[in-house]
Parts: sequence; structure tokens; C-alpha cells
Amino acid sequence: MRKVAVLKSQNSTQNVQLLNPVNLSLECSLTADHNNLPNISAFWSQDGREIPDSRLTVALENQQYHLQRLFYISGEEMLGSYSCVFENGVRADFILATPPFGEVRDKPVVSYVRDFVVLPCKMEEAKPKPLSWRWFRGNKTHKEQISEQPERFQIHSEERKSKLKVINLTHEDAGVYYCGAVYAIGTTMNPIELKVITYQEPLKPFIGILIEVVLLVAVIFLCEKRRSKKNTSKGNEENVDQNNIKLQEEEKGAEEGSSMRQRKV
Amino acid sequence: MLEPHYGELNMPPAAATNLAHKPPDGGWGWAVVVAAFISIGFSYAFPKSLTIYFKEIQEYFSVSYSEIAWLSSVMLASMYAGGPVSSILVNRYGSRPVVMLGGLMVSAAMVLSSFGTTIIHLYLCVGVIGGFGLAFNLQPALTIIGTYFQAKRPLANGLAMTGSPVFLSILAPLNQFLFDSYGWRGSFLILGSVVFNCCVAGALMRPVSNQKPKGCLPPSNEAVDQGAVADAGPQTADSDPEEGQHEGKGQTQNSKLVDLTLFKHRGFLIYLVGNVVMFFGFFAPVVFLAPYAKHQGIDEYSAAFLLTIFALVDMFIRPFTGFLGNTRRIRPKIQYFFSFAVSYNGICHLLFPLASGYQGLVVYAVFFGVGFGMVSALLFEVLMDLVGAPRFSSAVGLVTIIECGPVLLGPPISGALVDTFGEYKYLYSTCGVLMLTPGIFFFVMHYFNYKKLEDEQKQKAAGEMRRPEETVELKSNNEANK
Repeated sequence: MRKVAVLKSQNSTQNVQLLNPVNLSLECSLTADHNNLPNISAFWSQDGREIPDSRLTVALENQQYHLQRLFYISGEEMLGSYSCVFENGVRADFILATPPFGEVRDKPVVSYVRDFVVLPCKMEEAKPKPLSWRWFRGNKTHKEQISEQPERFQIHSEERKSKLKVINLTHEDAGVYYCGAVYAIGTTMNPIELKVITYQEPLKPFIGILIEVVLLVAVIFLCEKRRSKKNTSKGNEENVDQNNIKLQEEEKGAEEGSSMRQRKV
Repeated sequence: MLEPHYGELNMPPAAATNLAHKPPDGGWGWAVVVAAFISIGFSYAFPKSLTIYFKEIQEYFSVSYSEIAWLSSVMLASMYAGGPVSSILVNRYGSRPVVMLGGLMVSAAMVLSSFGTTIIHLYLCVGVIGGFGLAFNLQPALTIIGTYFQAKRPLANGLAMTGSPVFLSILAPLNQFLFDSYGWRGSFLILGSVVFNCCVAGALMRPVSNQKPKGCLPPSNEAVDQGAVADAGPQTADSDPEEGQHEGKGQTQNSKLVDLTLFKHRGFLIYLVGNVVMFFGFFAPVVFLAPYAKHQGIDEYSAAFLLTIFALVDMFIRPFTGFLGNTRRIRPKIQYFFSFAVSYNGICHLLFPLASGYQGLVVYAVFFGVGFGMVSALLFEVLMDLVGAPRFSSAVGLVTIIECGPVLLGPPISGALVDTFGEYKYLYSTCGVLMLTPGIFFFVMHYFNYKKLEDEQKQKAAGEMRRPEETVELKSNNEANK
């Protein structure tokens, strides 16, 4: 495999996706500026530390300084950041890694005590298929692999998907879980945080809103009762008069009224 | 004598209200508009906002995407199927008890489902019970506006329908927050209490006759039957202030459960036929707006922003449309306004494939937002205008159960169109045609309908002038012929 970086005056960064152990040739071509020095010194570094015995003097050829080195990437320890650094400070970084996950979930998954939860993991169609899947628990430094235990953990893996089902949750189950997509050269980790809460947590806002509704409904009905009581007392007084007046009006206006109101209403 | 009267009062020549009481057109009516705003908001926005939980529920129950999408369909189907049941209940008991029952149902459905152990459990609780509960909110909310408003009804309807986009804008981020904090189970529990606020809306839906002082003359049932408002006017309330009985007396005389004579009503049939075609193409453009944008290479956030623009425009257009519908020039011919709104949507969709780039999409989102809002604001107002407020409850029940088909089939058929051709433009062209055709149909049919109604009014007026006693018979004949 061969990866080339062409530089002018700015630094460049390249991501290199690796699946298997490989002989990797990294090359850097620096275009000469107006100085046109005949020779320039450069070195290679791995993860920020200079690789011993890698410092070379590069000759100017066709307006370019050309630097190349062959690396044998055998295992996960060999992955990381490799850089060619020129004397004038210009550098190219090659980041060697296994295929990364596309969507990273930043918010925790929430589930309840004595319930179960399914933590999903997916490697997209665009990326290469992993050889297998593994699940881990722990923190960045120390990860423990989770093995299938019938009553606690169930792992269901397909080619591009894997699910970890944690059954009968307790508070201790909360924390960060890692789903690992395993390739020949290494494993890509995807962290998923799990939060475990009790039913009492959502119960508090639930009851709060319930009380609010009951109060509002009660207030509305009470106001209505009071208003109708007022009307009743008023109405009773005016009743008799009103009835008489209405009856008279009715008899008079029945015919004209009906045709008028038909259009009016 | 007829013309100046009619123009002066700005009333449509249609069936008018034929209500046995005079609508207040204000006062407590505005509180009822708020209540309807809430009920309508929940009915339309709640099912849509639940889609946020689908992914996690899908993982949890290990089901396929289509199985979880069924939840939306079941809920929507129940909501539409519940329409006639809702109508029957409103006809008998009035709006208030039905809305409160509906609120209780959806609330209980969500709480029960939060303890669900299978996806079937969710279908039954959220889908069926929840759907019915929302139906018991939607219909009564629309109906009660007809009892409180006549002169300002288009405005009231427009304002109430604004509940849908407003609630969607509130529920969407709320649901996201609940999901992040409590997972799906806790969220469903809390949503159960949130939706319980429908009962507050129900409490506000005070029956109209409660407003009137006691000791008024009861209306004669025959009068209500024949549509004459002879003894009507301010003195309409029963000695018994229950709205249900009051309306119920009128309705149960007309029909046993649901007023099936509506199928002989010219205006109702026009509305029904046009709407059934229209609904095939009404919602699909909204559903596919974001996927289309992403297909054009636009990133996810900008695509979602298109929907936000659409919702904002929709939110402001609805009350404005209601206001416009209320103006002197438009109110009498409001059916033409509706026809225009439907046709406008059609033209929007037909021109859409010409839009290019993100700016084109934004322009489309704005124009479509206007069209969608206009149609939504007028959708039920024109039905009320055609059949009159007393029969509206039955009418809307029948309309929703028949519209159930196109509403449910529309998006999947559109999806199939997109999959077959691999392109979205055929979808939008089809939707354009599906909206433009009913629009033109409405224009033509209502032109004839308005003419016929004017002729009928002239006949009535002439008949009344001649002989008052025979008037009643003539009128009852006309009603039967309609």
C-alpha cells in the first residue's frame, strides 16, 4: 500500500483506513519555495516521538524534496499517527486506524431498574465489514470484555450490526459500554453510556402535571358554578316579567320575525 | 328585498346555521377557542411527535421499521374511525363530556403503554385507545366552535386550527428532552399527564345554553326540525341548561344516531368527493420534504430547518386566513376561497421540480406553508358553511371516516412512487395534479351550487311573501329535497 502527501507551505493530515497487517509506504513531497536550497533535512515521527535513525538529508529534485519510508504495520500497537517533518517545520500527518464508526451517540441511553436495555451498534454499508464483534465495559484505560451470561448479558451480532442486551438492570450496571468492531489489524471502539434510573424519577413530573390539571379543572368548574348561581338569582326575579313580554312579542312578530331571522342568523 | 338584506349582513346563502339559539360570537366563545386550540393541537400534533421514540422502541422490542411505523398508522386510523362514534356522542351529550372522556382515554392509554411488554400492547394502548381518545377531542372541538360563533366563525376556526402547528413545535423538542432524560417508558408516562390537559380544554367547553338565564321558553322541536327559527333568538335555552339535551332534542328528531340524510345534501357531497381526492396528495409533500432535500445533497440540519420554516409559515397563515375568510367580500363566497387554496397547493407542487438549490427549496417551503395553512384553516369552516352548525357534528364524523382511506394510503403510495422511479419529482407532480383537480372541481361545482342556493332562497322568499301559513310547508319541502 502506498500513501502520498503533497505539501507546499502548509501542513496536511490524512486518514488511512487499515483492515489487515500491511506493508505501508508513506511518501511526502515538499514543493520548493523561492529559497531553492539544494538540501533539506527531515525525519519521521510516530505518535509525536521522533523515530530513531530516521533523520535524512533530502536533495532537491524537479523542484521537489521527496521523502519516503516503508513501514510494516503488523498489529494494533503499530496504529497511530505517523508524520514526516521537514526542516522548515512543514509536516504531513498520516493517521492509521481501523474503520471508524459513523454515528456516535453522545447522549446516554436511559433504562430502568429490573427492566432490560438493548444497546445497538452499527457499521455502515460504506465501511468495510468487521470480522466479528466484541463488547467491553470499563473506562479508557481498562476495558473488560463482556461474555455472554444467559441471565445478564445477551449478545446478538450480524455482519454489520451488533446488539448487547443487558437484563435485570441494577444501578451498578450504569456506566460506559464499548462495542468493538474487530478487524485483523485491530478493533474500533464505540462508547455507549448507560444510565439506570428508578420509576420514581418520571413519577415526580407525572404527578406534578396531574395535580396541575385537576386544579385547573376544579377552578374552571367552580367559577362556572358561581356564575350560574348569580344568574339563577337574577333570572328568578326577571323571569315573570320576561315571560310576559316575550309571549306578547312572539304573537306579534311570529310571521315577520320568522322570515327575517331566517336570513339574519 | 332579498339582495340588500343578504349583502348587508355578509352571510352566505347556504344552509346558514339553523341553530335553535343565537351564537354569542364572543365573550366566553374566546375561551372556547382556546380550548379548541388545545384539543386540536393535541389531536394532530401528538401522533406526529411520537415518532421520535420509534428508533429506541424498535430496538427494545426487536421489531422491524415497518412494524413500528404501524403504530402511527393504527393511531391515525383509530382517530379517523372514531369520528362517527365521536359524532354520535357529541350529538347526544354535547362537546364537554366527550372531550373530557377523550382526554382521560389518551392519558390512560399512554400510562398503560409505559408498562408495555410487547409491541402489540403498544398498538392497542397508544394506537387504538389513544387514537379514539384523540378523535373524541377533535370532533367536539370543531363542533363547539359552530355553536359559539356565526359571524366571526371563520376567524375562530382559523385560530383554533393554529393549535396544530403550535403544538407540534412545542411537542417535538419536549419529546426529545423527555427521551434524553427518561427513555421511552418514562417519557410515555409523563406524556400521559401532559395529554391529560385535554380535560382542561374540555372543562372550558361550557355548553352554550348554560350562558342563558333560566326560565326561558323551550324551543318547539318541530321548529328546529324544519329549520325555521321562529321561536329562536335570545330565548332559546331549555329550562334545563344541558346543552346535550338541547342539541340532542333537535338532532334525535332528525336522525337516530348519525345524520345519514347528509348524503343527499348537495354541498356535502361536493365537499366529500373533492376532499377524498385531495387527501391523497395533501400530506405526502410534507412527509417527503426533508428526504427530498437530503436526496439533493443537503445536510440533515438544513433539511430539518426547511420543516421549521414550513411550520412557522403555517402557524401564522392560519389565523390570517381565518381573518380573511371573515371579511365582507370573502365570507359569502368562502367556498371559492377554499377552492383557491386547494388549487394554489396544486400549482405549488407542480412548479416545485423547477426549484433548484437550497434557496429554491426554502422558497417552496414558504409557499407550500402558505398553501397548507390556508387549506387547514378553511377545511372545517367550509363544511360548517355548507351543512350548518347543527348537522356539522354528523357531517365531520362521516367525512373523517371516509377520508381515513386516502390519509392512510397517501404516504405509502407516494413512497412506492419514489421507490419505483427513484426520483421525487414524479411524486410532487402527482400530488400537484391530485390537488389542482379537486381545486378546479370545487370552483366549478360551487359556482353551480351557489346559483342553485340563490334560486332556492328566492323561491322561499317569494313563497313567504305570498302566504304565511303555507310557508311552513314549502320550507319543509325544500329541506327534504336538499
